[in-house]
Amino acid sequence: MTEITRRPTARSSVVAAGAALVAVFAAGTGGTSALAFAAFGLVVFAVGLGIGHGRAVDAGALVLFFGVVVGGLETTTVEPTVVGTIATVVAWDVAHGAIDLGDQLGREAETGRLEAVQVVSSLLVGLLSGTAGYAVYVVGGEGQPIGAVVLLVVAAVLIVVGFGSRNAGKSARRRRNRTRSP
Amino acid sequence: MNVRPTLLVLGLAAFAGGVAALFGVLEIALSQSIAVIVGLLAVVIGIRSLLNRGDANRTPTPDPERRTAVPVPGETLAEAIGAFRTAKTSYTPTSRRTTDGLRAAAIAALTRFDGRTEDEAAQQLEDGTWTDDPVAAAFLSTSLDPPSRSVRDRLAAITGRKSRFYTQVRHAVAAIAVIGYESGDAAARSLPRYDRTDDERADTDRAARTTTKAVDGISRTRERSTDYWYGIGVVALFAVGIGVVSESPAVVLAGVVGVGYAAFARALEPPELELSVDRQLSDAEPVPGDDIDVTVTITNERDAFVPDLRFVDGVPSGLAVTDGSSRLGTALRPGESVTLEYTAAVRRGSHEFDPALAVVRDLSRSTEREYLVGSETTVVCEPELRPVAAPVPLRATAASFSGRLETAEGGAGTTFHSVREYRKSDPLSRVDWNRHAKTGDLATLEFHEERAARVVVLVDARKAAHLAPEPDATNAVDRSVTAAGRIAASLLAEGDTVGLAGLGPVDRDGGTEAGRESCWLAPASGRHHEVQFAELLATHPQFSAVPPADEGRWLWQLRTIRRRLSAETQIVFLTPLCDYVSADVARRLDAHGHPVTVVSPDPTADETVGERLARVARRVRRFDLQRAGIPVVDWPADESIDEVFARHSAGGRR
Repeated sequence: MTEITRRPTARSSVVAAGAALVAVFAAGTGGTSALAFAAFGLVVFAVGLGIGHGRAVDAGALVLFFGVVVGGLETTTVEPTVVGTIATVVAWDVAHGAIDLGDQLGREAETGRLEAVQVVSSLLVGLLSGTAGYAVYVVGGEGQPIGAVVLLVVAAVLIVVGFGSRNAGKSARRRRNRTRSP
Repeated sequence: MNVRPTLLVLGLAAFAGGVAALFGVLEIALSQSIAVIVGLLAVVIGIRSLLNRGDANRTPTPDPERRTAVPVPGETLAEAIGAFRTAKTSYTPTSRRTTDGLRAAAIAALTRFDGRTEDEAAQQLEDGTWTDDPVAAAFLSTSLDPPSRSVRDRLAAITGRKSRFYTQVRHAVAAIAVIGYESGDAAARSLPRYDRTDDERADTDRAARTTTKAVDGISRTRERSTDYWYGIGVVALFAVGIGVVSESPAVVLAGVVGVGYAAFARALEPPELELSVDRQLSDAEPVPGDDIDVTVTITNERDAFVPDLRFVDGVPSGLAVTDGSSRLGTALRPGESVTLEYTAAVRRGSHEFDPALAVVRDLSRSTEREYLVGSETTVVCEPELRPVAAPVPLRATAASFSGRLETAEGGAGTTFHSVREYRKSDPLSRVDWNRHAKTGDLATLEFHEERAARVVVLVDARKAAHLAPEPDATNAVDRSVTAAGRIAASLLAEGDTVGLAGLGPVDRDGGTEAGRESCWLAPASGRHHEVQFAELLATHPQFSAVPPADEGRWLWQLRTIRRRLSAETQIVFLTPLCDYVSADVARRLDAHGHPVTVVSPDPTADETVGERLARVARRVRRFDLQRAGIPVVDWPADESIDEVFARHSAGGRR
């Protein structure tokens, strides 16, 4: 009789670890302290993924993201930070997908297609929102009045808090809100 | 909630203001410090919400691949001790109850296997002369002092009082288990563990069936939010906040990416599922132990993309997946189908596939819908009716038809019985001509008369009989049913008439038993009867491969069976003998003039104290039955029924 191995699926785990590694490199461009944070996050993340512990993956991804943010604070170029953020979120998402799949279906089950759809959709969303934000940043350039920035941040806070429940259709507007904020 | 719309309106207003300020329509004079305060506020809100993130929220899937696990006799010590309890024992606190129960067990074993009277046994317990284990002797005696302990034991005692009690119980049980054996081998003398570790039991947490309800077509059972992306919006805000405070465009952009994901998480709804499931079996009527290949074709019947489908097939509990997996994770385009293939080992019985479980998520995985997809498939696995190599142990009571069962009476036959004086009308062929030649007297030889037996095979399928030495091993009822088929086959081959009866709950789903008859097949012979016998064994709900949920009305069933039995019918009772009811049934039937032979598949194990004590209890029960004149054929778990019967007939009785 076959036992069900309820551990994170192998393929997704590899993809998640790879994405996390990309995030570490992206953070590394910002300086040594950012690299240190990101590397520590990667270790926690990898261990959490190995044992299928969701909380550890959360914590690892958070530290990793913090590393990316620290890197972003220390550089003048925005590209590595955007790439690092996308990589972090994809890693976190795919890792949780792997844990869920491992728990629900086990490693023996054929799950390749589901995982592929998951990775592609996750990456696509990140690239889209990243590109949109980057485009606004490049087109808008510098020099917006500080009042506009503050108002947009307030708008972001209120709307995200206000959106407690799922609400199809309004998300597009929320994304636009944020893309203007820089 | 009324706060939300307000917040949304305020947020939209702020957004409009911000856009206006961006294009210079509105002039707002704000200092840098206010910007910092607002940014910090966003960070604080972010951290607060993040702390609320709960554990992963997902639908747990059952384990239909596994066979339904049945308990091991004596799973808990209290249960095993309960078997020795007499009417005298009154309510006592737990620790006292354990000691008293163990004392009762020791007395029961000493009186049976050591030839002591009850008083002698009690005296021996008090003196500690019943065992050479000083710890056990002291534990069950009120006057003896425990032996001085080693340093290691003392250290162990410091860590907890319980561990010392556990050690004493283990010693006592090991000592009780070897009573009656002259020199038990090392394995029998080794100390049992107190309890199984949690690891060994954790497997049973998950249900072994997808559902117990019948589902026709497809039905949605649940929808839930997975909270998969919970916290992403908050982290994004956090980044935006930090970015604004430190005036770093890179970090603000990082936040923007996060907000994009937050929007994605909330934008989508999982599709309404329309699946069709078609199951093909390589062999719909296999023999027990065969592997069959199952091919499941899953088709998306709806005009929509299913991005995330997790499928768990409803493998019945009598089937165990041996190769491949009965689970699948996939995405399905409209009209597309996928196949899932696996191999399963089949046990005897009639197995109906449970509805399959399908869990669908939307593309962002934030909402989960659970469906049950029904698709009727049944595997019927009839036990083989192959005669046993050795004669079936029957009692020497027979019907008045000629057959092959040797009775105690003299008459025509083949086995010598006695010599008696010649009477007129004795057949010439039986006159002892040798003696006549020597002495001139006429004498007649008598042989054991051979008649046909009328036998009813009674299978104990009560809940208490669903036991196995390991949770996944073949349980006692399965072994009984298989043996019933083989016993019937050998008896029918010998020209005896055989019937079948069952004891135990008929309905598996906890419903009422009204309208559903317990199994009864009157003794008869012939090919048609044999086929009927096999069919009943395979398909009667009483012998279902699914262990029953509750105990049936065995007393009522027993009365019905007794009323149906004609005189001179003897009974082969197949039972694991692990509770008092099984011994009671044998005694009741025997007392009503139906000679009973008990064939008892042994489901006991000896890993833990409870299991070892349950084994002693079974031994005591067996001994008591044999003392009451009911032969008991013990059938160890690692032997075949042929070996057991061969050994029994070599023992000199039929």
